[in-house]
Amino acid sequence: MKRTRGLAAVIAAGALLIAACSDDKTTDSTTAPSTGDTVAVETTVATGETTVETVADTTPVTEPAAEGWAVDTDICVDPDSANAPIEGTVKIGSVMPLSGSAAAAAFAPVKDGYEAYIKYANEKGLLGDVTLEVTIEDDQYNAELTPGAVAKQIDAGVNIFSGIIGSPNNLAVRDTLNDNCIPQLAALTGSPAWGEVADYPWTTGQLVPYSVESAVYAAQIAELYPDGAKVALFHVNNEFGQYYVDSFKELADQYGIEIVGEETIESTDSNPPTAQVTTIAALKPDVIMAVPLGAQCISFLGEVANAKAANPDWTPATFLTNTCASSLILGASGQAANGLYTSSNLIDVVDPANAAIPPVAEYLAYMTGLGKADIAATATAGWTTAEVTVAILIQAQASPEGLTQASIVNAARNFTHTPSLGLPGVEFKMNGEEDPFLAESLIVRQYAVAADGSGTFTDIGKLITDFES
Amino acid sequence: MKSLVSIREGGLASWAFRLGAAALVAGLVLWIPTSAGGGLISTAIEALTLMSAAMALNLILGYTGQISIGHSAFLGIGAYTTGIFVSRWGFSPWLTFPIAFAIAFVVGVIVSFPASRIKGVYLALVTLSLGLVFPQLLTWKKLSWLTGGGAGLPNKDSQLQTTGFNIGRKEGQMLHFEIFGWNPFGDLRRPDNKAAFWYWIAAGVAVIVYLVCRGVVKSRIGRSMIAIRDNETAAAVMGVNLVRTKAFVFGLSAGLCALPGCVVAIKIGSVSPEGITSLTVKGAITFLIVMVIGGAGSLWGPIVGAALYVFVTEKTGEWANDDAIPALIRPLFAWAKVPPGDGIFAILLILLMFVAPRGIVGLWNQYSSRIVRVLPRPAGAVGPAPMAAVAVSTITDSEGEHE
Repeated sequence: MKRTRGLAAVIAAGALLIAACSDDKTTDSTTAPSTGDTVAVETTVATGETTVETVADTTPVTEPAAEGWAVDTDICVDPDSANAPIEGTVKIGSVMPLSGSAAAAAFAPVKDGYEAYIKYANEKGLLGDVTLEVTIEDDQYNAELTPGAVAKQIDAGVNIFSGIIGSPNNLAVRDTLNDNCIPQLAALTGSPAWGEVADYPWTTGQLVPYSVESAVYAAQIAELYPDGAKVALFHVNNEFGQYYVDSFKELADQYGIEIVGEETIESTDSNPPTAQVTTIAALKPDVIMAVPLGAQCISFLGEVANAKAANPDWTPATFLTNTCASSLILGASGQAANGLYTSSNLIDVVDPANAAIPPVAEYLAYMTGLGKADIAATATAGWTTAEVTVAILIQAQASPEGLTQASIVNAARNFTHTPSLGLPGVEFKMNGEEDPFLAESLIVRQYAVAADGSGTFTDIGKLITDFES
Repeated sequence: MKSLVSIREGGLASWAFRLGAAALVAGLVLWIPTSAGGGLISTAIEALTLMSAAMALNLILGYTGQISIGHSAFLGIGAYTTGIFVSRWGFSPWLTFPIAFAIAFVVGVIVSFPASRIKGVYLALVTLSLGLVFPQLLTWKKLSWLTGGGAGLPNKDSQLQTTGFNIGRKEGQMLHFEIFGWNPFGDLRRPDNKAAFWYWIAAGVAVIVYLVCRGVVKSRIGRSMIAIRDNETAAAVMGVNLVRTKAFVFGLSAGLCALPGCVVAIKIGSVSPEGITSLTVKGAITFLIVMVIGGAGSLWGPIVGAALYVFVTEKTGEWANDDAIPALIRPLFAWAKVPPGDGIFAILLILLMFVAPRGIVGLWNQYSSRIVRVLPRPAGAVGPAPMAAVAVSTITDSEGEHE
């Protein structure tokens, strides 16, 4: 018994120490977002023409609230509380993975970007006398812990939640927040579940739905291969990957696409997907549609490059989810990333060509002032999410009801905003049940790697707004 | 060794002591959902779930000496049984508890067969493989018609909401009791009081698991389990059927571990390997830590261990910012850019192995006799001991006397 107990203790202690050490090491690493939630919105280098156009069009604008959809507070547990004026301070709560897994390292910059914008908004007095206060709890990307973290913040008097990361995590608290009539804004995932306005009016999403991104790629593939394309799918085997490929499969016939193979990788698998890519290479598809996560993006691109070298007559086009389209990931992939297609709706803030754009310059200067210049590229997701949240609050404040939980969600559901770091033409819009998703525009981009290793994005066509409701 | 207080087992003082302790626990259990905030209720649910899983593991590891690092799979069986039966086939969530128990029991019995032939690190590896394979199995494409694959259940259409999976959401399902205007369970009809409803389910499961464990441990099977743990050969010689006992205990432990899985599934409203860490190997390691820290081979060990684990992780979870760390210990942990809860627990575990190899409950048992000593019931005594069984600070007992 003594030996058994000792063995158990040694195993447990060892596992804990390894976990504790690895967390710390990965915090500052250059890992890109490693979950399905599209936070890697920055690109590396854009064309000169685009830059000039961008200067003119990226002034942040929030249009006045349109009359229209309004939430029914009669079904709230406490309608008075939902309609009570919020004065002095708006308490914003959020839950993000800050420890516990590799995801923590990937999402730490999102938290920094979010907090930075709230600080910026307070300094600029964007809400007049009203101060913003944000608390971000840690759920280790474990949906079991999210309800507790949210309940704790409700106890502390949080008025709204914003920027909760992860689909299961948001789902785990959606009922509670809707029952309590507390706005759950800008869920940082692209799940279609955030479009269920009738059942969950208090929950809104922030990212481009995964299905829209899939459709954008399918349309682009059809344009590249007008006679039909053979496509092999490679995706991470979780909710994120499955949404993507399911959406893609549904559109395949419409765009003359034949799915010739499908390979998967587990989200926790850090080994290069050699076997999967070898299987795909044997099928010789025209296109590989890939949805890996974080560091898997790098190893996947490396394996594809190896497979191409072994099959010189095979030159497939590679479409990579924009989760991977970070300067960190593509830069680390080197020549293997050359020629791939991806998408975006935000300006690449680390591209020197964009540095002169006023909102980019202001953002970079502010982050540098906070000592966070090193994470500026990956913090844009948090910055933009906070910007959207503040814009909603400003709109609610200007409404006849003033700032209340109900007016905030009404503002969110009747919302038009041009994000400061958005590409020209990108508008974040929601319109009640008619348009339940905030962002549905994307531009397809191709990545080219120069001999010196530097990367350049070239826009392919125009911003696709066809999926805007 | 001198004790401040000595009480006779079965005496009035002994009963008063027991009733006082029971009242304290009952008071705490009732106070949380009726008076505490949602944050504390959620924390309590977490602790109760962890307690139940660790108590189930304690049965096989603490009492029978069979190491298992794969109990997360059994919890996962519970979670997925609830998810699948409710969302796919429209079962009542309540019915999924016994079904989950039965399925996990059968799987546990199957796993026990290698356990009857191997032990120590080899058995640890077998169970570890179970813990590792289980999440892979859930995401296996060929099983996605059942498990929902990588996306889990529900995936696209919140089916679980409409089939009663989230039992707190349906009207009329929750009862409301009042005793002279006081509602002992909290007003469970209020939709914003769903956490209290989940709390009672978690508490009910924890009580059931505790009572089953207690009943088994104090039965003939319990004595067989302890005999196997202490010396397998001697147990076999004394007539204990090793294979049957191990199979039963493995099955029972697995079945009990599935019950908190059902609670987790109901609470979260969806199941996926990525969304529920407890069904991955990390969960199995956590159960192990909780049990070892609390005290393996004691009924209260997992309860104390789970409460402590949740308390420490809650507290240290706020320490991501250096300013939040208490000044006294800030130099020790300020370097960590992530909450140092797991690290603190690792250190605590190592220290405990030196100071208290039998866990916190073992440490309490070792030193509590200096304060309160329970004297055994006199041989042949059946009824309550005489009133004069309490003596304060005067009884000197010889070393080795029964505690």
